[in-house]
Amino acid sequence: MSASATQPGTSSPPLHRAPGSATTPPSSSSHHRHFAVLLPSLPGVNMFKLTKLERKLILKPHLLSLPLNEAVKGELEVLFVDKVIANVGLCISVYDIQSIDGGFIHANEGAPTFKVKFRVIIFLPVKGEIISARLKESNADGLRLSLGFFDDIYIPASLLLQPSESEPDSENMDQVKWSWLYDNKDKYLIDGYDEIRFEVCNVMFPVIPKEQTNPKPFAPMRITGSLAQEGLGPVSWWV
Amino acid sequence: MPLNCSKGQLSCVEMVQVSVAVMKILKENAGLLTNFEVLDFLRTRGPAKDPTRVLAPVTPSEFKVYDNLVQSAANSQTRESISEFVAKCKPYKLTNSEITNIVNIRPSSLVEIYPLIENFESRLGESAEELVELVVQVFPCSSEEIKSDE
Repeated sequence: MSASATQPGTSSPPLHRAPGSATTPPSSSSHHRHFAVLLPSLPGVNMFKLTKLERKLILKPHLLSLPLNEAVKGELEVLFVDKVIANVGLCISVYDIQSIDGGFIHANEGAPTFKVKFRVIIFLPVKGEIISARLKESNADGLRLSLGFFDDIYIPASLLLQPSESEPDSENMDQVKWSWLYDNKDKYLIDGYDEIRFEVCNVMFPVIPKEQTNPKPFAPMRITGSLAQEGLGPVSWWV
Repeated sequence: MPLNCSKGQLSCVEMVQVSVAVMKILKENAGLLTNFEVLDFLRTRGPAKDPTRVLAPVTPSEFKVYDNLVQSAANSQTRESISEFVAKCKPYKLTNSEITNIVNIRPSSLVEIYPLIENFESRLGESAEELVELVVQVFPCSSEEIKSDE
């Protein structure tokens, strides 16, 4: 979608107002109950948070027959859902729309511009948080875990519960099976059946490379985790 | 040039041009949500009633979040049970992150709660068992959480 850079305070005055666009307070859509947030607002406590954003949107004419709220929400979802905002986190959902302003059509554009203030649900794990995930890959570097909606979670081999050892996976060529050696006699295998609990060590937002040298997909958000504590790792080891 | 990404990312251009303000972050922390609240929010959009997963106004990625949370402790929690736990665990002097972790993970044994608490021995010691019992009592298990082979 082309959000052309509409400079605030441009010299050309707005030509028309798109129909029904006066500074519209968000129509109280019945499905948007206001959720009371249960925990006191301290930063960095849980992996889900709300972030308030503001964005200029240009609504193409074919969307104008929809109620404004719906058209705006649809556009915001296309722009934000399942996308990483650098240094903020992964946007899961559009939570609510707080205001929609504007609707002016600027010179040289064939569609109205709106300024929208809204909140999104962001997924951003916090250092020290314990999360349950599933095994996705297991190789010489360590483990890769997945939450279904996010799977760039890596447990380096050095952060497995020590001592750990690996053996090549007979079924998958470049994969390796990791096991924890308890008391130097019992071997506990990490296989794909169970939930694996890990502690979040670090969340990184690597810079987009100019050229792609690595054949693997680029991960704009990357979580590093650790299993190096009693009670972490596959749940079946402990329960 | 299209980049092979595991997740879409907002274009760098949008982030950098703050002066032009196509997008602004007004408040990075506008509220915290427990896993339960996120699941509750998604539930109101009706994914459970739609086996085709096409009719409900929920995007495929939101369905994945929903699936993940439905299999977690959040599925059987309620606003009341979480408030009850927050009130009843006051004597244990847990930090907010510890309370959130416990609510999200719902440990049902000592060894499961161990990694969630810092300085476990000095802070909890013997009362740890009571805390675990409190967790299990306030958040009973539901059938969907039984670990399934996928």
